[in-house]
Amino acid sequence: MSNEPVGVLVIGAGASGAAFAWSIADAGMSVLCLDQGPWMKQRDYPSNGLDWEERGMGDFSTSPNVRGLPADYPVNEEDSDISPLMFNAVGGSTILWAAHFPRLTPKDFRMKSEDGVGEDWPIDYETLEPYFALNDRMMGVSGLEGDPAYPYHEPPLPPLPLGKSGNTLASGFEKLGWHWWPSDSAILSQEYEGREACINLGPCITGCAHGAKASTDITYWPVAQRKGVRVRANCRVREITVREDGMADGVLYYDEVGRLQEQKAEIVVLACNGIGTPRLLLNSKSKRHPDGLANSSGRVGKNLMFHPYAMITGIFEEPLQSRRGPMGCSFWSHEFYQTDRSREFVRGYSFEAIRGLGPVQTALWGMIHGLIPWGEDHHRSFARLYDHTATLLGIAEDLPEETNTVTLDAELTDAHGIPAPKVTYRLSENSRNMLAHAVERAKEALTAAGAVETVVDPLMRAAGWHLMGTARMGRNSTTSVVNERGQAHDVKNLFVVDGSVFVSAGAVNPTSTIQAFALYVADSIKKNIETLFDDA
Amino acid sequence: MMDTPAALNDLDFMKALLDLVIPPSASGDLPGAGALGLSPAVAEALQADPLLGPPVEVGVQAVQEAALSQHAEGLAGMTPEAGAKVVEALLATHPLLIVGILRYLSPAYYQHARVLEGIGEPPRPPFPEGFDIEATDAELLEKLRARRRA
Ligand SMILES: Cc1cc2nc3c(=O)[nH]c(=O)nc-3n(C[C@H](O)[C@H](O)[C@H](O)COP(=O)(O)OP(=O)(O)OC[C@H]3O[C@@H](n4cnc5c(N)ncnc54)[C@H](O)[C@@H]3O)c2cc1C
Ligand code: SF4
Repeated sequence: MSNEPVGVLVIGAGASGAAFAWSIADAGMSVLCLDQGPWMKQRDYPSNGLDWEERGMGDFSTSPNVRGLPADYPVNEEDSDISPLMFNAVGGSTILWAAHFPRLTPKDFRMKSEDGVGEDWPIDYETLEPYFALNDRMMGVSGLEGDPAYPYHEPPLPPLPLGKSGNTLASGFEKLGWHWWPSDSAILSQEYEGREACINLGPCITGCAHGAKASTDITYWPVAQRKGVRVRANCRVREITVREDGMADGVLYYDEVGRLQEQKAEIVVLACNGIGTPRLLLNSKSKRHPDGLANSSGRVGKNLMFHPYAMITGIFEEPLQSRRGPMGCSFWSHEFYQTDRSREFVRGYSFEAIRGLGPVQTALWGMIHGLIPWGEDHHRSFARLYDHTATLLGIAEDLPEETNTVTLDAELTDAHGIPAPKVTYRLSENSRNMLAHAVERAKEALTAAGAVETVVDPLMRAAGWHLMGTARMGRNSTTSVVNERGQAHDVKNLFVVDGSVFVSAGAVNPTSTIQAFALYVADSIKKNIETLFDDA
Repeated sequence: MMDTPAALNDLDFMKALLDLVIPPSASGDLPGAGALGLSPAVAEALQADPLLGPPVEVGVQAVQEAALSQHAEGLAGMTPEAGAKVVEALLATHPLLIVGILRYLSPAYYQHARVLEGIGEPPRPPFPEGFDIEATDAELLEKLRARRRA
């Protein structure tokens, strides 16, 4: 392995790192990406075996603490109401994601102006629009054009079928006159760019063995590699190194056999997600940056936002084909998305209709909720639930709060001895009220759709899928970490392109916006390469 | 490594216990969990679980002792009704007993080919054949199209 200096060094090969690397390859600089995880093989995914659901609780769990694989680092979540979830591999968390692909709405970028809370973003929807569209084409997005909740956009592929469960749930929204729209989904409804259409396996969140779901190892990376970008898998970055003048000059990392290596670079780009990025910045202390790199504002690791989720499940008399089809991609509703001052919360939430559980998860879920007993009545109760449930997820907009943080744990380390992150997160009253509202409205929708009973999880603990806000962007260097182009205020050749930069969370899944931003940053570097470090 | 208590390794006893937890269905379409021979897998998984393993092992041991005090052959010799009473009587003092068993029994049982057939699923992994699903309701789609933003 050669550690020749490179032009651009990207850390993290997930959703944002892949999009960024693919685009920046056109700048004519050498591009290298390091990721602590391996390349995945579709033949190893759980849906190849009968034990697919069990493996989703083991080596393909969404929690790094449960998996504990060599690529994972532990996260101290003792002081958090929500467990942070992720996957560490080339492809990052898109290996496991559900591929539900909403964009933030235009108003989400103007939270302070609209509602007087949080901050406005220093960029807007219109600026990102061309990058949303480009990213939709690169990932292969299916959807129905014309959703009135958004400015007009056309997904490149027609929508995925709703299936019986989606049709049933949508009929409830229709009866109530509530907004609903088939999800934009980063899953193929038709053959596209050499990848085959979805065959409704169901367990997308343990990896798609069919390659119909867009994970960046099969979308961006092959094309980026053809452009000359190199990826070094199983390489964990310990810290970003700096020159005398405070500019970044590369990284120290552990290679696949655990040897400490040094890699120099002209530009360093962080794409390690909303937990990995602040962790790495805080671990990159130096004389010039004693509180961690790019942290003169003290905002690195602050303002952690998840999307708090409530899960409301309806039990129906009719069978719903519910475990078939892409689990997280059916339809969304923005009926309660905007602030309504008559409610006990500001901002709002969306609904995501999802499909049902497989047999193992049905049995465990039924047991936990006291719906499937042991003994004589077990089979009758199981049959009442299995294939007879459909679920709405209420996705609340979390407001940024300085007390919700990613810090370095004083004792916990990963396998290389690098300090692990500690997440401190408490659900705010605003979010709690929002979820309570979502639960009541979801019950109405499910009942209108024909549910005979509803079962509520008012706050899902294992739902920290969306990691945002911990290196936020802004124009003011005393209150933000990076500027509107993802460039660190303190270190001009250091960029952040993942969800850490989010100023607010919106009430929808973040990845479409994360990737659009990564493409925008790459483009702005390409356009401004001559003047990039001018005020350094 | 903790020593395996006798109860968790006693195949006849465990077969009887698992058949109480998930018995055969009345129609005969679904086998009892014990008859499927799942107890070694469940015992192994429990012993590897530092949280659920110890309380379940203690509970299982208590069931075995209580059953033996009532019947010379223990649980294996008792009727399902009598066996269920023995287990129920111990749940107050061993609240994690059934939850802990089901945590590992449910995956083992519901991914077994015979059980999948019994619940109406093809006894195969999802991949590579996949599944067909219903198309989006044409009437619903028409309504949406009428609401589209230009
Ligand atoms: C189960 C699940 C379901 C989800 N469903 C959805 C969904 O439906 N829709 C949606 O929009 N979002 C979803 N998400 C979230 C989505 O996956 C993330 O928003 C997205 O992947 C974030 O992209 P990223 O580039 O910021 O980070 P990631 O994709 O997480 O990639 C970060 C990469 O950085 C690497 N890394 C971290 N630290 C280091 C280091 N020190 N050295 C080297 N490498 C490092 C990691 O190994 C990882 O590969 C889901 C997530 C999960 C876990
Ligand atoms: S449902 Fe579709 S996208 Fe999901 S795993 Fe199956 S084939 Fe892949």
